[in-house]
Amino acid sequence: MEFDWSQDDIQHRRDIREFLQQELPANWEEMSQHGPGGDSQAAFSRTFCNRMAQKGWLTQHWPSAYGGRDCEPWRHSIVGEEMWSVGEPRGSQYMNVNWIGPAIMTYGSAAQKQLHLPKISAGQVLWCQGFSEPEAGSDLAALRTRAEKIDDHYVINGSKIWTSYCNHADYIFLLVRTDPQSNRHRGISVLLVPMDTPGIVVHEIPSVVGERYFHEVFFTDVTVPTGVLLGAEHNGWEVVNHALQFERIGAARYARAAVTLDKLAAVAAERGMLHDPIVVDRLGEARALCEAARVLVYKVIDIRAQDRPPTADTQLARVLSTTCDNAIGRLALEIFGPESLEYASFADTNFRMAMTAGVAVGATEVQLNLIASRFLDLPKD
Amino acid sequence: MNFELHEEQQAILEAIERLLAQHAGPARAIELNRQGQYDDELHRALDDAGFSTIATDLATADGPAGLEAALAVEAIARAGGVVASAAQMLVAPAIRELAIAGPIALCTMDNLAKPVPVRFGAHAKTLLVLGSGEVHIIPLTAGELEPVRSSFGYPMGRLAEANRFFDLSTAGECLGPQAVQAMTNWWRLALAVEAVGTMDAALQHTLAYVKQRRQFGRTIGSFQAIQHRLALCAIQVEASRWLAREAAYHGAQAEAVAAAAAFALHAADLVFTETHQMSGAIGFTCEFDLHVWSMRLLALRQELGGVSGARRALVEARWGKRA
Repeated sequence: MEFDWSQDDIQHRRDIREFLQQELPANWEEMSQHGPGGDSQAAFSRTFCNRMAQKGWLTQHWPSAYGGRDCEPWRHSIVGEEMWSVGEPRGSQYMNVNWIGPAIMTYGSAAQKQLHLPKISAGQVLWCQGFSEPEAGSDLAALRTRAEKIDDHYVINGSKIWTSYCNHADYIFLLVRTDPQSNRHRGISVLLVPMDTPGIVVHEIPSVVGERYFHEVFFTDVTVPTGVLLGAEHNGWEVVNHALQFERIGAARYARAAVTLDKLAAVAAERGMLHDPIVVDRLGEARALCEAARVLVYKVIDIRAQDRPPTADTQLARVLSTTCDNAIGRLALEIFGPESLEYASFADTNFRMAMTAGVAVGATEVQLNLIASRFLDLPKD
Repeated sequence: MNFELHEEQQAILEAIERLLAQHAGPARAIELNRQGQYDDELHRALDDAGFSTIATDLATADGPAGLEAALAVEAIARAGGVVASAAQMLVAPAIRELAIAGPIALCTMDNLAKPVPVRFGAHAKTLLVLGSGEVHIIPLTAGELEPVRSSFGYPMGRLAEANRFFDLSTAGECLGPQAVQAMTNWWRLALAVEAVGTMDAALQHTLAYVKQRRQFGRTIGSFQAIQHRLALCAIQVEASRWLAREAAYHGAQAEAVAAAAAFALHAADLVFTETHQMSGAIGFTCEFDLHVWSMRLLALRQELGGVSGARRALVEARWGKRA
């Protein structure tokens, strides 16, 4: 047991920071205020990720056989922390490199690998995830979008909801029911569907979170070749569980929260608020929470670095990471007071970016269920 | 980075757990606590096996072996050991190279002035007193601190009436500001580490209970209302554990130990509340082991300013003079 970064890792963090300073435009703060799914950030991500790819950093944790550099997951976690700290200039492409690419490596055919992996590692393709449906939110296994196999095609009918990033996406990682007789976890498959396929319609759902945050995606007789099936037919539940083990801590929310908190502390100091013991107490509580979330995420990265199978440590880290993000989002409102009521003010932006944390990618309650059964071995009865 | 124990750490942990299985445990803690006694036998066994000086013995050029000592202290806390191991193994080596005679009790100048109960005070051979600009190492002969009855799981002592005018300037050795920083940081780390071992044991005890206790025709641990709360406790305990271990590894830096203590001592309150709530009435009885750990959690929260003291220290360490 030891908790040191290697000299190479320390240098890598410096290099990434320097790169960010050079690459982020002067109006980055304004550009990133709608989060990774916003129009300007999505457009910027194509240039930015391509620059990262040229440096060899975008998929450095991937095996060299797929265009990576065989780096330890620790190296990629440094990239994640630094990117989230500045508001994620990779846009939605963080998902590509974190789990969509790895899922294709694990379950994809030779043709799928050849089609998708070079595009992802070049930083020039945007993906979205088609999981939730109106009747399948936390209970994902209740999904009903159907893909009927007719000869060598699938015909997809149904809809997805809450889908982020899909207005700019080139592909959707789509979860469908391929066996109409099945229910729950069996009979589900993953399809890798181009978003420009006829019959796909995207509607934005206006929300208080920000522009282009939520969408509905409708599929009407969307016809795709069977070659888009990822992994075995009806085995999509396994594929998605594998993928989500990476996704659940994929966003370094604690790192973003820690940077926000540093700014809050600076503002509190400037305004003489540190004479108030309650403010000091809240700042201390929040900082401890950021550190606690970080160390639990590191525990999960360590498991991955040692090539051990995923454990419920992922859920522990996930819950604390989202708790931390939420708490600091709300603290921003308290520190800034009524100023935070103005749209796009610092506190408002940070609060809105944090507010979905406990709901997105599996509600906290689902994570707690998994901790109870897998980590604490509590009975179901 | 590596969160797995390496071979030597594994061997240390196994050795101390073997020793604790023989000399410690909740039954022994209950027996000793009933009479307000200190576990001299366990203390001697830890001394003889070399654990008391582990931080110094395994020290490197970077300083005492904080992590190995922390792993041992965590295990002792888990076993409910009635010994002042945290002070001996974590705090003392950071203050003076020359060994300090144990048992050691830790207190602040303010604790003596009031005076309030101090953990292990009545049994200590040495008192380490933290002042604002100096640390006093005071050898205790007999009777300076008198026993105080307490429900909070440790033998306690308080400065006796006859010693109210105890002259610190002549009573022992006095060290400067460097020692103040070292004692503050390592004491705070010690509190976090002890809280981790103690919370861990309380939670494990409660988990075992809710898995076998049946009400309404099913085990109470199968109710989601219970499961989610235990899951939240587990998150707090695990995060506390890794924060404390990481801080110990890095030699108890002010910011890291303040974060570890702030988080762990806050978690201690939650774990106390939830483990008692889920254990029901039997949880308050002496025949049920939970109190061995649960009551201690509240005692740990009384030292060095507790949660708010640690949070204040964290703000000062992170954001400097602005705080």
